[in-house]
Amino acid sequence: MIRNRFVFYKPILFTFFIMMVSFLLTGCSREKDTDGLGRTIISVWFHTGRPEEKQVMENQVKRFNESQDKIKVRLTLIPEGDYNTQIQAAAADGKLPDLLDLDGPYVYNYAWKKHLIPIDHLLPHEIKKDLLPSIIEQGTYRGKLYAIGTFDSGLGLYGNRKFLSAVAAHIPTGPQNAWKIDEFEKILAALAQKDKDGKVLDLRMDYRGEWFTYAFSPAIHSGGGDLINRDNFQNATGILNGPSAVKAMQHIKVWFAKQYVDPNTDTNSFVNGRVALSWCGHWEYPRYSTALGNDLVVLPLPDFGNGTKTGMGSWCWSITSNCKNPQRAMQFLLFLLRPTEILAMCRANGAVPARKSAIAASTLYQDNGPLHLFARQLEGGYAVPRPQTPAYPVITSVFQQAFQDIRHGRDVKQALDQAASMINQDIKDNKGYPDL
Amino acid sequence: MITMTKVQAKTPQKLKTQSRSQASDERTAWIMAAPAFLGLLLFIAAPFIIAIFFAFTNYRLGSPLPLDFVAFQQFVRIFSDEAFQQALVNNSLFALFIVPLQCAIALGLALLINRPLKGMVLFRTLFFMPVIFPMALVAIVWELIYAPGANGILNAFLSTVTLGYWQPLDFLHHPDLALPAIMILSLWQGVGFQMIIMLAGLQSIPQTFYEAAAIDGANRWQQLIHITLPQMKNTIIFVALVTSILAFRLFDQIWILTQGGPNRATTTIIFETVRAVFKRQDVARGSAMSVVFFLVVLAVTLLQRRISRQEREIR
Repeated sequence: MIRNRFVFYKPILFTFFIMMVSFLLTGCSREKDTDGLGRTIISVWFHTGRPEEKQVMENQVKRFNESQDKIKVRLTLIPEGDYNTQIQAAAADGKLPDLLDLDGPYVYNYAWKKHLIPIDHLLPHEIKKDLLPSIIEQGTYRGKLYAIGTFDSGLGLYGNRKFLSAVAAHIPTGPQNAWKIDEFEKILAALAQKDKDGKVLDLRMDYRGEWFTYAFSPAIHSGGGDLINRDNFQNATGILNGPSAVKAMQHIKVWFAKQYVDPNTDTNSFVNGRVALSWCGHWEYPRYSTALGNDLVVLPLPDFGNGTKTGMGSWCWSITSNCKNPQRAMQFLLFLLRPTEILAMCRANGAVPARKSAIAASTLYQDNGPLHLFARQLEGGYAVPRPQTPAYPVITSVFQQAFQDIRHGRDVKQALDQAASMINQDIKDNKGYPDL
Repeated sequence: MITMTKVQAKTPQKLKTQSRSQASDERTAWIMAAPAFLGLLLFIAAPFIIAIFFAFTNYRLGSPLPLDFVAFQQFVRIFSDEAFQQALVNNSLFALFIVPLQCAIALGLALLINRPLKGMVLFRTLFFMPVIFPMALVAIVWELIYAPGANGILNAFLSTVTLGYWQPLDFLHHPDLALPAIMILSLWQGVGFQMIIMLAGLQSIPQTFYEAAAIDGANRWQQLIHITLPQMKNTIIFVALVTSILAFRLFDQIWILTQGGPNRATTTIIFETVRAVFKRQDVARGSAMSVVFFLVVLAVTLLQRRISRQEREIR
C-alpha cells in the first residue's frame, strides 16, 4: 500500500525536481527598461563605505527621481569590501548596471575590456573646464574619458604642532617648500629621541590593500621613479626596480628598521598623541582635527629629490556598455556633478570637490580653508595618477606585496626586481593589452 | 536477520514481486538521490574539471583575448614561484604541528568533559563556542591579543608573569613567530569541533568495558591505554584526517591577520590561489594551484589511510 501511494506522488516529485533544475540553470531574467509610468529605468550601483555617504546618495537619488519624470534611477548599494570582486564577476557575466561607481585605477581594466563606454561627448564643455585636472587625468584611458568623479582625494602628512615645535622643525607652508628627505629624516630622529617608545610616524599600517600603492607610490615618483614606464605602459623593469625607485623605497625601509613607524593596530596613534606625524588622506581630517584642534597642521609629503608628489583619484562614475540609453544615464551623473550636490557628498565624506567652483564654496578646501593644500596639490600638478593601464590590478597587487616585504626587511632591490618582472610577465601574457 | 528468514520462507511467486519492487525501490532511490547527485556534479565535480582544464590554458578573468593552451607552463611557473614553494612548506609545517596537537588536545578535553559532573553542559558549550564564531571575528579578537607593543594583551600578560623581563614582541610580524601564532589561534578556534567528535566516540564505548576493567583492578591510566584508545581508534583516525584536510585549507586567518607575511612566513596554498585569481585575475594560475592543492590533499589522505590500515593489520 505504501508503495502504491508513493507511485501517486511520483509525478509531483518529478515536477518538483524539474523545477529545481530549471531554477539552477536559468537564474534571473533581464530587468525591464521602463517602469509603469513610462520612465526610463537607469540602474545604478554604488559602493557603501561610510553611512553618511550612503545617506547622501540615497537622498540624491530620491531628489533626482522627484525632480523630473523621464528617468527613474534604481539604486543598488554594494558593500565596499567586496565591491571590486562583485563588479568583476558581474562584468564577466554581462550583468553590469547602466551606471556605476568604480575605484579610480580599476577603470582602465574595465575600459580595455569594453565594459565601459567613452563619455567625452556627453560631458558639456563648461563642466569639463570646471573639473579638477586630476579628475580628467585619472578618468582618461588611451585618450578617451571613461570616468568622472564627483570628488577627488587628498594625501599628505598630518602633523602635531606641539611635537614639531618641540624639536624646532620648520613647518612647510605649501608643496613648494615641502621637507627635503634629509630634513624629514632629521626631524624623525629628533622626534624619536624625545619620544617614549621612539615611534613617531604613523604610515597607517592598519590599512589594507590599495592604500599602499596609493600612499607610497608618490614617494617613488618624488624620487624620480615610477611603477611602470608610462610612454607605452609595456615595461616595468628598469623603472620600478630602477635606482630612483629603489632609493626612495630604501628610505621607507630605514624608517621601519629604525622603529620610527607605529604599527597603529588601534588606529588611534595620532589622535592619542603617540606619534607626531601621520601619513594619511583627507578622510581622517574630521577625526584628527577634533582630537588635536589648533595643534593640527596639514603638510605635503616629504620631497624625495624631485619635488613633493602626492596621490590622486577616488571613486568615480562610469557608464557601462550594457547601458541602452547613455544620455539618460549621463543626466543623472550631471545631476550629481552640480556644485550643490558635489558639496553635499563632500560634506559627508570630507573629500576634495571635483569642480573648482565647488572648491571655492567649500569651507574646508577654499583658499584659506584648513585643507586647501590638498586642492592646491591636485590643481598644481603635484598629484600623480596611478598608471592608466589595464595592468593596474596586477601592478598594485605586486607593489603591495613588495611594500610588505620591504617593511619586513627584505632587500629593496630584490623585492622590486620581483615585482617588476611579475608586471612584465602579466603584460606579456596579455600580449601587451592590445586595443580590441 | 529477521528479513533473511522471511525471504527464505517466501514462495517463488512472492520472490518475483519482491525483485520487481526492489527494482522500483532502486529507481525511487535514484530519483531521490538525483538532486544531491546533481548538486555534487554541478558544484563540486564540474568546477573541478573546469579548473583542471583552465590549468592548462592562459585564462584570465574576463579577458577578451583568445584562450591559448600553454600545456604545463602554469605548473612550471607556480613551482618556480618562491611564494608558492613557501606556501607548500608552510601548509606542511602547519599540518605537521596542528594535526597531532589538535587531536591530542581534543581528546584530552573530551575526556575531561565526559565526566558526569554538574555544570558540564556549560563547559561543553564554552569549549565549543569558538567553533561557532566566524573566523573573521576570531581573527580580529586574536589580532588584539597579539597586538605589538607593551599594551598588547599577550605582551602585557607575559610582562606581568615574568615580572617585567618580557620584551614586547610583534608576534604577527615576526618571521619566526607569525606561523606559530596562527597555529595557536587556529587550534583555539577549531579544537571544539574535534572535541565534540571525540566526545561522541567516547560515549559510544560501552560502560561495561570499564566496569570489567575496574573489577580486574585496572587503574584509570590503564583503562585509558587499554580500553579508551583502542576503542577510539577509528574516531581518532577520522579526526586526524579531517584535521589535516582543514589544515591544508588554511586561509581566513591568514587573509585577515598577516596577508601571508612577514616575507611569506605565513602564506598558504589557498591564500596564493585566491590572490592569483582575485587580485591578479590570473584564473589559469589559480587553477593550476588548486589542482596541486587537490593532489596534495589526496596524497595526504591516502598516506594516512595506508598508515592506519597497516596498524590494523599488525593488530
